[in-house]
Parts: sequence; structure tokens; C-alpha cells
Amino acid sequence: MKDLGAPALMGISKVGKKSRPIKPDPHFGPPLKCTKRLKEIMTRHYMLSRYAEGAKPVAWVTSGAPVEVLRPFGIYTVYPENHGALCGAKKMGPELCAVAEEHGYHQDLCSYARIDLGHYFSGKTPAGKLPKPDLLFASNNICQTVAYWYKALSHYLKIPLILFDTPYNFREITDSDISYMVRQFEEMIPVLEQVSGRQFNYRKLQEYVRIGKDASLTWGEVLATMKSRPAPMTIFDAFGHMVPIVSLRGLPLALEYYRTLLSELRERVSHGVGAIKRERKRLMWDNIAIWYKMRDHSSLFAGQGMNFVTATYTNAWAETTPYMDENRPFESMARAYSLVILNNNLNSRLELMERLIKEYQVDGLVIHSARSCKPYSVGQYDLKRLLMERLEVPSVIIEADITDSRAYSEEQTRTRLEAFFEAMEG
Amino acid sequence: MTRKEYIIKQKKMGRHIFGVFPAQYPREILWAMNVAPVEIWDPPLEITGANAHLQPYICSVVKLGLELILQGKCDDLDGFLFPHTCDSIQNLASIVNDYLGMEKPCYFFYHPKAPFRDSSRIFYMEHLKGLAALLKQQLGPLDFSKLNQCVEQGRQVTSLLRELYNMRASGEISASNVQFYRVIRQGEFLLPDDFIPLLEEFLTASKGRSVAGPAVILSGVLPNPPEILTLLDELGVRVADDDFLSCSRRLLVPFSQARDPFEAMAETYFAMPPCTTKGSSIDERLNYLFGKIEGSGARGVIFDMVKFCEPELFDVPQLVKELKERGLATLVIDSELNQGLSGQLNTRVEAFVEMIS
Repeated sequence: MKDLGAPALMGISKVGKKSRPIKPDPHFGPPLKCTKRLKEIMTRHYMLSRYAEGAKPVAWVTSGAPVEVLRPFGIYTVYPENHGALCGAKKMGPELCAVAEEHGYHQDLCSYARIDLGHYFSGKTPAGKLPKPDLLFASNNICQTVAYWYKALSHYLKIPLILFDTPYNFREITDSDISYMVRQFEEMIPVLEQVSGRQFNYRKLQEYVRIGKDASLTWGEVLATMKSRPAPMTIFDAFGHMVPIVSLRGLPLALEYYRTLLSELRERVSHGVGAIKRERKRLMWDNIAIWYKMRDHSSLFAGQGMNFVTATYTNAWAETTPYMDENRPFESMARAYSLVILNNNLNSRLELMERLIKEYQVDGLVIHSARSCKPYSVGQYDLKRLLMERLEVPSVIIEADITDSRAYSEEQTRTRLEAFFEAMEG
Repeated sequence: MTRKEYIIKQKKMGRHIFGVFPAQYPREILWAMNVAPVEIWDPPLEITGANAHLQPYICSVVKLGLELILQGKCDDLDGFLFPHTCDSIQNLASIVNDYLGMEKPCYFFYHPKAPFRDSSRIFYMEHLKGLAALLKQQLGPLDFSKLNQCVEQGRQVTSLLRELYNMRASGEISASNVQFYRVIRQGEFLLPDDFIPLLEEFLTASKGRSVAGPAVILSGVLPNPPEILTLLDELGVRVADDDFLSCSRRLLVPFSQARDPFEAMAETYFAMPPCTTKGSSIDERLNYLFGKIEGSGARGVIFDMVKFCEPELFDVPQLVKELKERGLATLVIDSELNQGLSGQLNTRVEAFVEMIS
């Protein structure tokens, strides 16, 4: 559940620039009107971030970290994974990864981390400028990689790192796990007070938890519109529209945005407007997007009359939301953030995928085996086998990477997808 | 006695045999519950079946461990313990427990990650007791006095290991690098009743002058490929100390004076040498390495990486940079386990040794 929203962010850099009009793809339905609003919101967010440095405390945050706890302190949040996705979509991944590699970071390491470190060493970014952080806030609920990566940043930048340590749920979550995480919240408050110069305000935290929960629930409703036939958007749209739930979680703007998007999608459903014109087959995506191939894949599948209607990835920001409770903010956040897909055992993931396949009437599954993301990828070969055995859902595995296109073989992927398309028609 | 013979013998003696994946776990609890933990680091197998479950970019520690299970070589074991060492071992634990359809009990042990706080200590203590409670369902209750004895035995093992490491750092050990690690690694499966006399005997037998060649520190996950030790022996290089996850980072633990055995184990964990798998900072790791270099007169550090090992590979650039800034020589090599030293790696090690000689 790392990263996000590159397509939307790509638009940011286009503001004020002349660009050649893109020829509309005949396989797609009318574009979402909300995309324009999304671009405005995210442009504003990144523009403001340029001026946040020195004016507000800035934190670099991992996508799975309980950001609500930072909000009462007025800390401006920036998401390096989001930035990594943007770089990937802008096809800058290999260049920035290479910079990190020149500094000794091995090509086998997570490419989000290499991009971020490459940006640190070179200052290069398609986002104009990222504000220097005063604080690093990471949670290992998505991977241990972020802990190693942020530890490196902390060493280079000489700034504090708060790690929200979430014990892996090999079985059921325990009271001891919850207590451990609640205590960590209590321990991080004085650090946040010191970094921000503000006193902790419990009521404000409750408010941010409530708004964050409402936004996540609304995001869940947005995704649920894709249960309709035809689905009113594709998962490639959702990869873009998920940016606010990650980057602006807890802020009223995200909630407002998803209410608008939900309204538009429901209207499309009521009028039978599909994201693609001829939705013959419905697919599920597993793992993070292949950011540099979003457009190609989107067109390729649409051309086959196949629409991605759900993804384990986009679902991650909605799945555990019901646990959030403003009356027990720490305890409920501990539960909600610990029970995310990547911090749960693989049996839970199998059950989740089975449920999504049934609820969204999925005909086939595309599994992205991402070199960068071991917790997401290790176990996928067995998942593929088990889902075929249990539900007879055909699937294909694409060996690739999230942002480093050097790990992507066009020919191998095409061959595998062609075989998959044949299987889907069989 | 080979590892296999030893396991058969322990089984006949009524002990439960557990396969334990890397790296850090409360061995004293297992010993006290009549379990012989047999660690699975680098079994000498050809990987075939594991490739159907794991991607090409997964490290060979994880792949070989799974291969061992798939080839039926763990069929006689009574259970598995998976410490939370990295993302790959975490998911391997779940593959084995959830997907392979095995009937064998699987246990998981989560270490709190640094920076450590009061919450980490409370959680670790609870987690130790939680593991004992889970094991009780299979093995019967934990005898508190037996646990105390095992904690004491753990202290004896550590004490002997520390003495050996100190002698080696001071150049007062005649054993070769190969011999040294052959003995140390016996601790991956010997119970303390058998490991303590082996260490005592080795201590006595190997007292003497070390080779006069240059001294180096080895860092990484484990001393594999073993050919690197042979090569260093041939080149007259003394491995003066190590920063291996499988060796000094988890074996050279400080003593705790706590009377409560759980408290003693917890204190030991939090005072262990810094390690990337625990989340230790770069500064802590550097201080630890510099301490070893100063204590042994080593002229350089060889980072012997297991390919695709993310926790190690993330720290190396910063460690190398700081070591170089202090005028120390460094060499980073990465290889798959049990694949020997390629000609190219061989040449690089030789060139490194020439440089520090």
C-alpha cells in the first residue's frame, strides 16, 4: 500500500505549459470531471509545500503512517512515496535511482527509496522543489524497508525519526500489540510538541480522526461504485484519485473532494456510463501500480474490453477504516493502522482477495510482482495458485517494478498478457 | 557429530526439535521447554522447489530455508519458529503457516524495533511471556527454575564466546578462520550442555599466536560462502572480529544481573550489539564497528553481503563512507549462499588484501 497518485500529479507540472493535445482513446467513456478538481487540489498542496519550509514544521511521512496524530500540531506533510510515484510516472525513475546507486545504494533496493535518496543527493525532482523536513515519521506497517530508508534519511539530514512500530499480525492482533502501539502514541507526543512548538490538543486530534474516518469511508464508497456494471471508473483512475486519501488524510479538503467524486460516480452509474465503452471482462489488480506503464496498460486492457474494477492496493486505504473511533483515538488508530493488508498474514490477504473477487464480480486477476516491494510480492505465486483452485479465476503475474523501468521487460510482459487474454476468452 | 546425527540423537532422548529461522530469538525459553532449536541459515541444497513459491529477487537465506522444508528435510521436526527479521522472512513464515498445508506448529516472534522506548521494553517482556504461553499448548508448562538454569547456561555460552572473540582480537588464537567459524556455528544446533564443553575445549586447544598477516573485520549476515574464509586463511589474513548477524551481533550479548529470567532476557535483548534488523541507527553501528577496529587493530572491513538482503544493503553505503573517511579500507561483495567465490570475487579479495598488507 505504498505510494500514489502519479497520474494526477503529472498534471501539476503541466500547469502553465503548452502541451500537445492527447488524442482521445476510442475505447474509453467520457473522462471524469473531478480530475480537474483533483489537479487543483494537489497542485495547491505541492505549491504550498514549497513555502512551508521555515513557515511551518514539515514532516516526511510514509504512506501507512497514522498521520492524524501530526495534524493537531500543524505539521505540513509530504509523502516521499507519492513523490516516487510521480517520478516513476514522469519516467525519471531510472535517472534518480542511478544517482542513489552512484552513492552505493544497490539496484536491488526499493526504487521509491532509491528515487528519494537520488533526489536527496541531486535535488532533482519533477515537482519543482520538496521542502526540507524537520521530522521523519514512518510506520513499518507497510514494510520494514521504510524503516531502513528513513533511518538513512535521518542520518543524512540529522533530524529526528519517529517510527510507529506495528507488530506483524501473524495471527490475530493481541491486546499486548494494541497497548504497545497506544504507548508509542503517548511517547511521541512530547517529541511532536518539541518539533512543532505547539501543545498537544486532544480534542483537535479527535476531530482529525473523525474527519479522516469520514474521508476514508467515503473513499470506500467511491471504490464500491465500481461494483456496478459497467464500472464508472477504472482502477487506473482510482490510482490517481487516491492521492488525497493518502496525502491529505485527516484534512477536510480530502473529505470534501471524495463527496464530490462520489456524487459524480453515482450519477454515472445511474446513467449507465462506464469508464470503458465495452466492458466485457472485469479484472482485479494486485500490488502497487507500474507507474511508468499506466497509460499503456490502461489502453491495452481497455482495447480488450477489460476493465480493472478493484485492487488490493486502492482498497488498503478503506479496508480498516471502520476501526477508527474519535472517542478512542489512539486505540482505534492502533487497530486500524496495524490491520492493513501488508501487516497481516497471507491467509487474511487470501480471504480479502476472495471477497473482493466475489463482491466486484471479477473474471480475472493481474498480479504485479514488484521487485521493490517484498511484503506485497512474497506469497503472490501461492496466492495465484490458491485463487485458481478455490475460485477458478485465471490470473497472470507481471514481473516488473513500481518506478524503475529498467526492471521491466516489454516483450516478456506482452507475451504473458497475450496468453492471459487468451485464457480469459477460453 | 553432524547436525543430522545430533538431531536424531536429541529426538531419541525425547527432545522436541524446532527449526528456527534467522536470527534473534529467546533460545533459553526453548531450551527450558525441552526443545532443541536447530537454526536454518544456509542449508547446502540446490534450489528447485522454492522457485515455485518465491520470486527471483528473494535472498537465498529465505529460499534455502523454504527448500529445506519442501524437500521434506524438516519432516521430523516438531515445529518452526520464525523471528521477525525482515519482510521476506515475515512472509515466508506466513507462506509456511498459511499456504503449504503443513500440520506442523509454526510460531512467530516479533522484536520491537529501535529506537527503543519504555513501550518497547514492556512489549518485549509481554511478548516473551506470550511465546511461552503459546508453546505451553504444545509442550506443557514452562518450569520457572529450569528457565533460570537455562538463562545461566546462556550466560556461560556467552562468556566463553566473548573470551574467544577477545583472544582472537588480541591475536592470541592459533585457529584458522575456517576452524574458528566451524566451531562458532556449531552453536546453531548444539544445546548448551554440548556447546559449552566444545567451546572450552576449543579455547584451550587454540591458545597461541595468530597469523602475522593483516587483520580485517567481516560484516554481513553470516560467514558464507565459506570459501572466503579459506581464501583469507591462504592469504595469511586474520579475521580479527566480526559484525555478522549470525555471530557477534546476537551472540556477544551483555550479561544481565536481573533475577527474573524474563527480565534478564529482555535486558539482554535491548543491550545487544546494534543491528539493522532491530532498527539500530547508523551511528550506533558505526560506533560498534569502530570499537571492534580499535580493539583488534584491523585495517579494513569486508562487507560480505547476501544478494538481495535489504536490511544489510541499506546500511552499507553510509558505513562504507564513514569508514573510508577515517582512512579504513573497505570491500563490498555480494553473492548467493553456497555458490562459492567466483574468479572475479576471488581477485577482488586478493586485491583488497594486497592493499592493506
